[in-house]
Amino acid sequence: MSALLCVRNLNVRFGDTLAVDDVSFDLPRGGALGIVGESGSGKSVTCRALMKLLPQTAMIDGSVEFDGQNILEASETTLNTLRGKRIAMIFQSPASHLDPLMRIGDQVAETLRKHTDLKGREVLKEVRRLLEVVRIPEPDRWAKAYPHQLSGGMKQRAMIAGALACKPDLLLADEPTTALDATVQKSVLDLLVDLRRTQGLSMIFVSHDLGAVARVCEDVIVMRKSKVVEAGKTRRVIDAPQHEYTQMLIASHPDRLTLHTPQAAAHAPPLIEARGVQVRYGGRSLIDIISKRDGGFPAVKGADFTVQAGQTLGIVGESGSGKSTLARALVGLVKPAQGEILYKGKPAQPSGRNRALYLRDVQLVYQHPYEALSPRMRIRDAIAEPLRRHRLCPTNEVPARVADLMKQVDLEPMLGERLPAQLSGGQCQRVAIARALAMDPQVLIADEVTSALDVTLQAQVMDLLIRLQKERGLTMIFISHDLAVIRRLCNAVIVMRHGEIVEAGPTADVFDHPTQEYTRTLIDAIPHLQEAAL
Amino acid sequence: MKTLRFIVSRLVQSVPVLLGVSIVTFLLMVNTPGDPIRLLVGIRASDETIAIIRDRYGLDDPILSQYFTYLGNLLQGDLGASLRFKVPVSELIAQFYPVTLFLVIYSIVLILPPVIALSVWSAKRPNGVADQIIRILGVVGLAMPVFWVGLLFARFFGVTLGWFPVSGFGTTIPEHFRHLFLPSLTTAIWVVPILTRNLRSALLDEMNRDYVLAGMSKGLGASQVFRTHVFPNSVLPTLNLFAVIVAYLLGGSVIVETVYAVPGMGKLMVDSILARDYFVVQGATLVFALTTIVVMLSVDILSAFIDPRVNS
Repeated sequence: MSALLCVRNLNVRFGDTLAVDDVSFDLPRGGALGIVGESGSGKSVTCRALMKLLPQTAMIDGSVEFDGQNILEASETTLNTLRGKRIAMIFQSPASHLDPLMRIGDQVAETLRKHTDLKGREVLKEVRRLLEVVRIPEPDRWAKAYPHQLSGGMKQRAMIAGALACKPDLLLADEPTTALDATVQKSVLDLLVDLRRTQGLSMIFVSHDLGAVARVCEDVIVMRKSKVVEAGKTRRVIDAPQHEYTQMLIASHPDRLTLHTPQAAAHAPPLIEARGVQVRYGGRSLIDIISKRDGGFPAVKGADFTVQAGQTLGIVGESGSGKSTLARALVGLVKPAQGEILYKGKPAQPSGRNRALYLRDVQLVYQHPYEALSPRMRIRDAIAEPLRRHRLCPTNEVPARVADLMKQVDLEPMLGERLPAQLSGGQCQRVAIARALAMDPQVLIADEVTSALDVTLQAQVMDLLIRLQKERGLTMIFISHDLAVIRRLCNAVIVMRHGEIVEAGPTADVFDHPTQEYTRTLIDAIPHLQEAAL
Repeated sequence: MKTLRFIVSRLVQSVPVLLGVSIVTFLLMVNTPGDPIRLLVGIRASDETIAIIRDRYGLDDPILSQYFTYLGNLLQGDLGASLRFKVPVSELIAQFYPVTLFLVIYSIVLILPPVIALSVWSAKRPNGVADQIIRILGVVGLAMPVFWVGLLFARFFGVTLGWFPVSGFGTTIPEHFRHLFLPSLTTAIWVVPILTRNLRSALLDEMNRDYVLAGMSKGLGASQVFRTHVFPNSVLPTLNLFAVIVAYLLGGSVIVETVYAVPGMGKLMVDSILARDYFVVQGATLVFALTTIVVMLSVDILSAFIDPRVNS
């Protein structure tokens, strides 16, 4: 079998930085190759270079041969007859890669109108067929919808439909499942596997998640710092990684991490208790008041739970399940419409009068580390801010306290002078944690703190949280869509869906003997390393 | 159906705004210094005459009942009468408003093509030669005071070259076009740079969006991606700024109308203020507010048509 795609000594340079350094690989017709690496490893740039879809500032060297045709030397006109028709691409965040002002059907049809002779009704029929192929229910209805009306998974399917429109030979998938919930991720991966089989599609699958790659691809290359560090059959790479980086990557996968036994919580009165907490977004309109309806949209419909001192409670659920809203209600960022929150047995009003006092004990760490820090504030000042604002220590001791906090979260003292943009995601998340710890809180609420991070960083941040909890006796509420992470960290877990708690209990019970169908689907959707395609 | 509901709800929302406007214009009247009656009857009238007239005009009634009388009159289209011209204010507005409307629409026609052409040209190669020149010209256009540009044009095109008349409105439609060319051009000189800047930066923002990359990956080519994706997405922010400017212009481009002696709302307003013709000022303010509301409403509805996310 001859190679469909043949890449030799590919180099991509942006100014002085070498983004892709001497990458070579072959992709046989009908094959699937995974490119694994962390953010900044050059995997996405490699993928885009295959279509010569890089900004003009990029200097590309080497050769990319697709079906005997040299892509890098082809003219823009020639490339535009290949792009979309013979090589198609799907992207990480379907939300931003779809034009918000264009109907889904039209975006799928765009490729057809450009590359085929189909006209009018035939185009509509083909769009309908494509939406059916990617298993979008009621294709006629959704073809007329705009992107914002679709869920994340549906948007990704629509994007795949657009990519498949002209029956391409090669599909480039750039982190297609990273932005999706676990169950949706699984269904999209299944769809890709299925498309490979039924449509004879060759595929290049770029991801930071080796588990996802293992599900789709038989071959894999591992990239780090612009270079390929390891290449081979997926099965072999996972079972016997040669390079030390690959070994670390595999060791960081939630599958391979040792289960941490959370410290047992003493049977004491609960530290935090939520009773029938209900949160609504959007106010009541005049019509709602007249008809005595509650109005708005219920994001959390009555949540009850307790957290003992020293315990770690996990809250899992997919996007839109209300888990982040619940966290926000606990720190008073949104006001519950009904129900109450008890702290140390007394009713607390997180958004009420004693807010400042309450927040000293209960701190929230946010999902996106870059967005949670002011881009114009030096790290040192960001950590010092709560100390100064709440006069937690005398002014002359602030620098020493900041240095101490930075040490606790393993940040080099010299980083204090930097701005958030000059730090990596993992470092930023440590800064955010240090800032929360500055208050010396009893309770730390971590809202998806690991989901924006690469696997190795994710493992490090988890280790940090485990260590901090041991050292400080922190009580934690850990919110995540990632069950593997929850399983590793938490004593107890609650599963949320559509704003309701569907299942709750000790972690081991919930994971090993789930009573709800929904919990079972969530658990089944965890990507495992063992599922490598053969 | 959804769009219709959106329009109706926006219309309902503008009712309280209108009420607020009527309260403000009413208070404006009540609190202005000087006595309108004095102006009406002259300084030599006796106190009794004044008392009779005050009574006839209801000026001694409680303020709330005066307001409701005023509101009732407004609803019937009665804005009072001009003290200066002794004709109903509504008649005056009916006479002056179309001139301003003509001027504004004419200006828009002169403004939009260069805005689109220049901003697209600038955005194609940011910081290129064309972009730099357009930016410098824009700063020059913004920096020149409107009255000065007006005088300059009147002198050069009107007097030296004799191409266009420098004042008035004319009587036939072709004459209107000739008379209002210089005023419209003068307006365009400061509006074009503002909108060009705005649209250029919107275009540059949108050109870096992910969907542009996605469009390129479909083989659409740069120009088709620009036409079908980038441009429609860039228009919205500029449209809102455009609406603010149009509303402002409809309130009467006071300077332009004064320089070219165009009989429009701006000129009417200024003259009436100077002559203490309170009812005309009041009526014109009300019309200005109403115009702003109508323009904003139409832009909101237009935005809802362009962007499906607006009304959901």
